[in-house]
Amino acid sequence: MKRVFSKPEKAGIFFRLFIREVDMLGVNSLGIVIIISVFMGAVITLQTAYNIESPLIPDYLIGLTARDSMILEFSSTIVGLILAGKVGSNVASEIGTMRISEQIDALEIMGVNSANYLILPKIAAAVFINPFLNIISIFVGLIGGYLAIRLSGAIAPEQFIYGLHYVFIPFYITYSLVKTVFFAFIITSVPAYHGYYASGGALEVGRSSTRAVVYSSILILLTNVIITQLMLA
Amino acid sequence: MIELKNIYKSFGDNHVLKGISAYFEKGKTNLIIGESGSGKTVLLKSIIGLHDIDQGEIFYGDQEFSKMPVKGKKEIRKELGMLFQGGALFDSSTVEENVRFPLDMFTNKSVEEKLDRVNFCLTKVKLENVNHLYPAEISGGMQKRVAIARAISLNPKYLFCDEPNSGLDPRTAIVIDQLIRELTLEFDMTTVINTHDMNSVIEIGDKILYIYKGEKWWEGNKDEILKTNNKELNDFVFASDLMRKFRN
Repeated sequence: MKRVFSKPEKAGIFFRLFIREVDMLGVNSLGIVIIISVFMGAVITLQTAYNIESPLIPDYLIGLTARDSMILEFSSTIVGLILAGKVGSNVASEIGTMRISEQIDALEIMGVNSANYLILPKIAAAVFINPFLNIISIFVGLIGGYLAIRLSGAIAPEQFIYGLHYVFIPFYITYSLVKTVFFAFIITSVPAYHGYYASGGALEVGRSSTRAVVYSSILILLTNVIITQLMLA
Repeated sequence: MIELKNIYKSFGDNHVLKGISAYFEKGKTNLIIGESGSGKTVLLKSIIGLHDIDQGEIFYGDQEFSKMPVKGKKEIRKELGMLFQGGALFDSSTVEENVRFPLDMFTNKSVEEKLDRVNFCLTKVKLENVNHLYPAEISGGMQKRVAIARAISLNPKYLFCDEPNSGLDPRTAIVIDQLIRELTLEFDMTTVINTHDMNSVIEIGDKILYIYKGEKWWEGNKDEILKTNNKELNDFVFASDLMRKFRN
């Protein structure tokens, strides 16, 4: 840990790696985040609409429920879990392959702090870019909900839009972003650890990649509970 | 020069190195030979600090390496070049980026100066017009040469090679051997090569250290190795029919 968070050898090289990782871990995940978010938003909206068909409950609450569900849980936790699979396996297998093919030893022999060089840009990039992915996910999810309402005709679209604006609590966004930052750290640091300490051959890289995804997912769920208790209780 | 004094290294109950002392001379190709599992890779990795030794001393010149703080080791490592068995080139970087990597990390040269140095090193290893290819796009022998170019890019005082000929055809293997020898002489480096390739031993063995079951069993040069009466060494050297015919 100390080696990972030490001062980078050269700021210019760190910045170049940081930009590359923003592209690899963030921009390259944009597609899957958008696809998942559209469908999540649509399903949450439809399920809410079909489950609260009561004359006592106003229709606009469907929009409110979809909005708060996306902000509070789906865009942070579910997207976090999806990224733990995509980004986590990518990080673990990349670093694991470098370990077994002696590329990490080569860095060490050159006098490069390999943990810092390989891992810190990934953590920094994910912590930087994932909050943007979260905001995009919320936005796209609500568009998905709106489309579902328009196509199904479950309620009037104006009611849905009204619900999206109704009793908006900005702190929920803060809560969601805080969770995303913690999840971004887990998604990169846990797989990086498993990849860095991989040994053996290709089979072991595969195993460490699987372990990385499982442990990061469990840690995300655990962290979710702790942050929720600390921030919302 | 590099001097080893009474090196011990164990992994749990497995005692891999048992009191090895040796002296590797400057401007010479020093070979560590031995059967698979004899401890030669552990010895090489201990010399370069990838393994911490349990006991003993390792001197680079007059500097004691094994007990140095991390910062001191880092400075020594900037004077080391290493050729790994598989090349250990960075897959996602081109040949040029691989050779330029140490220059980017440890020098403040301009882009042009770095490119000049990269091209100089690639020319030294007899590679041209491969700058923009990726490691996966070149042959195994070329990868080894790129790895050598990267190893010499910072003008190292010490060059280490782990099985430089593994996976290469005999002709390419000889080219790599001769290249290492030429560079050793030209840059007056202390070169330590880990091998079990007898062609290399005969070709470039200025000084040879034979490791047997974790102990230094024999020491000599390429002429002496063919005349020795050491039984274990003879069993190793003349294991193949070709080498037995060569002796006779």
